[in-house]
Amino acid sequence: MDPSEVEFIAEKEVVQIIPNFSLDKIYLIGGDLGPFNPGLPVSVPVWLALNLKQRQKCSIVPPEWMDIDKLEEMRELERKEDAFTPVPSPYYMELTKLLLNHSSDNIPKADEIRTLVKDIWDTRIAKLRLSADSFINQQEAHAKLDNLTLMEINTIRAFLLDSLNCMYKLRSNLQPGSTKGQFSDY
Amino acid sequence: MSDGLSEDGSDINQEDEDVMTPAELIAKLEEAWLNEKFSPELLENKSEVVECVMEQLTHMEANLQRVKKGDAKASIHRMEIDRIRYVLSSYLRSRLQKIEKYFPHVLEKEKSREMGDASLLSPEEFAFAKEYYANTETYLKAMALKRMPPNLQTIDMLKAVPEPCLDSFVFLRVKERQENILVEPETDDQREYVVDLEEGSQHLMRYRTIAPLVSTGAVQLI
Repeated sequence: MDPSEVEFIAEKEVVQIIPNFSLDKIYLIGGDLGPFNPGLPVSVPVWLALNLKQRQKCSIVPPEWMDIDKLEEMRELERKEDAFTPVPSPYYMELTKLLLNHSSDNIPKADEIRTLVKDIWDTRIAKLRLSADSFINQQEAHAKLDNLTLMEINTIRAFLLDSLNCMYKLRSNLQPGSTKGQFSDY
Repeated sequence: MSDGLSEDGSDINQEDEDVMTPAELIAKLEEAWLNEKFSPELLENKSEVVECVMEQLTHMEANLQRVKKGDAKASIHRMEIDRIRYVLSSYLRSRLQKIEKYFPHVLEKEKSREMGDASLLSPEEFAFAKEYYANTETYLKAMALKRMPPNLQTIDMLKAVPEPCLDSFVFLRVKERQENILVEPETDDQREYVVDLEEGSQHLMRYRTIAPLVSTGAVQLI
């Protein structure tokens, strides 16, 4: 899957915005939104929030977890634990990127948040590489991947799955008398 | 459903003719989209969902025709329509890609299907697969086979085109708790074992083991 598609899915997440215009309730196919009143916070999906922001029709309230203290705590925990720690949002990386790129003026200490989230991401990806390595070394057939986000899975998907398939083909060809050995490729 | 027809949809929100709300319908479409994207084989068709979504989209577009230009709401509605349309076409496209890749096996499976079983292909996809098969065969004959020695002029498409590899690994998220899923060993000196799949947990395992759970909707491929 393309990373932009993961971002597309993340854009369905809901954020709070403070509009500067007024508009009645909108009845979208995916649910109702609004009504919008100037100065009153309202929840909308990220794709709409970003669009309104680009047209300077609202300011975005950053999600609660997008906060220096909370993220620092998370980074320490992530570095200390061997396993993956729970993330504040299943789309933390995508949302950070989207919100910081389009709406950094509404987010206090945007640069520090960017660095912190990048640190957390790097730590997690390093862990992911390590566990993928041991998964292959031990020739496991099942792994539990709790707390991994879609974007993280997506970064190793193509490489890991293709390698596993390749190894499977090689191995099943080695085993004598195996019926599964008849793999043909183009 | 009976009184839904009395007025001709003066309100956009009045389309709940099914038990499913439009929002649930969109969620169903997104589920089907991701499952289709990540499963190695072609899944059952969801033409009901596709048709309902199409209906929603045309209805909404018809409503938007009546709105004058520059309306703030209309642009938001259009954005939503574009997003849904993207998911829909990406879903249908990934199905067509699989049909093109595995067409003899897809048709074979469709042929051997019992009466009353859910059909793998929608009528349109079935027509596409048959046509693709015929075209490929004609092309191969015209370009190569007729110049071969007589004993080599036939081709068995089922053997010529590789089957989908059901032993591929997939990532999945569990939606309904499952017990005692048998995990087959990778090598001969390992032993098979069972795992329980807790609701909400995520796993990496072979598609073959959990294929039935994908079609019942108990797990979601990610």
